[in-house]
Amino acid sequence: MKRLLFFITLFSSAASVALGQCDAANIASRCAPGPESGYTLIKSFEVDGKGGSKTKIEYSYVFTKGTKYLVNVCGELDAPDGVVVTLYDKYRNKVASNLYDGQVLKAISYPCSATGIYYISYTFEESKEYCGGSTIGFKRIG
Amino acid sequence: MKSSFYTILLSLLLVACGGNKKPDLEDIEESLASEEQSTPQISSENIKSILASIPHPLELSVHVQESGINYNASYLNSTDNYGNYNSSNKKAINLGIYGTDLGYTNIYSQIQDGLDYLSVVSKLSDDLNIGQFLDFKSLKRLTDNNSNLDSLLMITNQNFDNINNHFIAQNKSSLSALLLTGGWLEALHITNQVTLTQMGNKNLRERIGEQKIVLDNIVLLLTVYGEQDKQIADLLNDMKKLEKAYEHVTISYKYEESSSKIVDGVLEIVSTSTSEVKITDEDIAKISAVVEEVRNKVII
Repeated sequence: MKRLLFFITLFSSAASVALGQCDAANIASRCAPGPESGYTLIKSFEVDGKGGSKTKIEYSYVFTKGTKYLVNVCGELDAPDGVVVTLYDKYRNKVASNLYDGQVLKAISYPCSATGIYYISYTFEESKEYCGGSTIGFKRIG
Repeated sequence: MKSSFYTILLSLLLVACGGNKKPDLEDIEESLASEEQSTPQISSENIKSILASIPHPLELSVHVQESGINYNASYLNSTDNYGNYNSSNKKAINLGIYGTDLGYTNIYSQIQDGLDYLSVVSKLSDDLNIGQFLDFKSLKRLTDNNSNLDSLLMITNQNFDNINNHFIAQNKSSLSALLLTGGWLEALHITNQVTLTQMGNKNLRERIGEQKIVLDNIVLLLTVYGEQDKQIADLLNDMKKLEKAYEHVTISYKYEESSSKIVDGVLEIVSTSTSEVKITDEDIAKISAVVEEVRNKVII
């Protein structure tokens, strides 16, 4: 049964890629931090670059001091596929990016030391599908 | 007057979309404050962005639990009130409230109360035709077992996230705004009640003060919908009273460049930026009083 479900999921993903559709909601739902990580999922974001015609997708979130956040990034096949996430504070100072030393990493871990609105900005770097999903998990800094 | 306000808002959002740059929340807020107008045709994408900025109520509830104070069911909205909610707006805002209460019972491992709140969340979801997004069976099993809190919170949050996304996709984002407002209001209410019993708790005091940032965004959202919906307009007026109660609370922020390193494929950030909240006992008393007043209107 599990194998059947796996193939159905794989087929659906392949079909949507073939049709040029971006099922960002589905990718985001697969991008949640696992229960073993100790992070609790709080938000999921769709990152649909419309096949490359859209170069930036941006959300915002209030990060709280004393809380550690994990921003996960996924492409069609779990790897980030060139989906770059950059965190900016409310004054647009850059806080972090998963584009680090030329590689696009799967996640950013951010222990917040200053509460405020942060902008979570998604762009693409050599992406194949321009389609992804992202999630934020949190845990208290013990 | 009204029409120029929304024209400016709409222009900002359209320019932002066309230019592949979203307006900062502050830009939208300033436009809302300075102008007035009709036809809130805002793209679902921009609505999504503002909705996404509202923090998850569970974050506040976890702070409450870590304060060491015992579980207190009297803080929560009685499940008996379910029958009072006849309109979609009332159902949506109270679904948010009950969702926060469900999270609160879960983190304190209160099985029976958790099942009661799950039941009322399920009923409201069915009433709003979003029952398909609530994995009731899995949630009930996990609540019953009381064995895997992380999985329980994960599925609950995923379900609520899906409900939010569904409302937006169905052009019912006002319900999403109400759902999030209800969840936030309840979390603030619980935090206030606990803090009033431990006024020396610096962590909780700060968390209450920081909600000023969230309140600004909630006012922004309700302003968008209040133009067309009297119930939301009334709620907006109440939230403006709450803004008044927050007027002397200050939040300062100092940016410092962060450093980072890769650990197991994850970029670990070390941040030394700081923020400081200034909030007095009088501020907390005022905020709590207004929150109680607003909440009582919403839940009854």
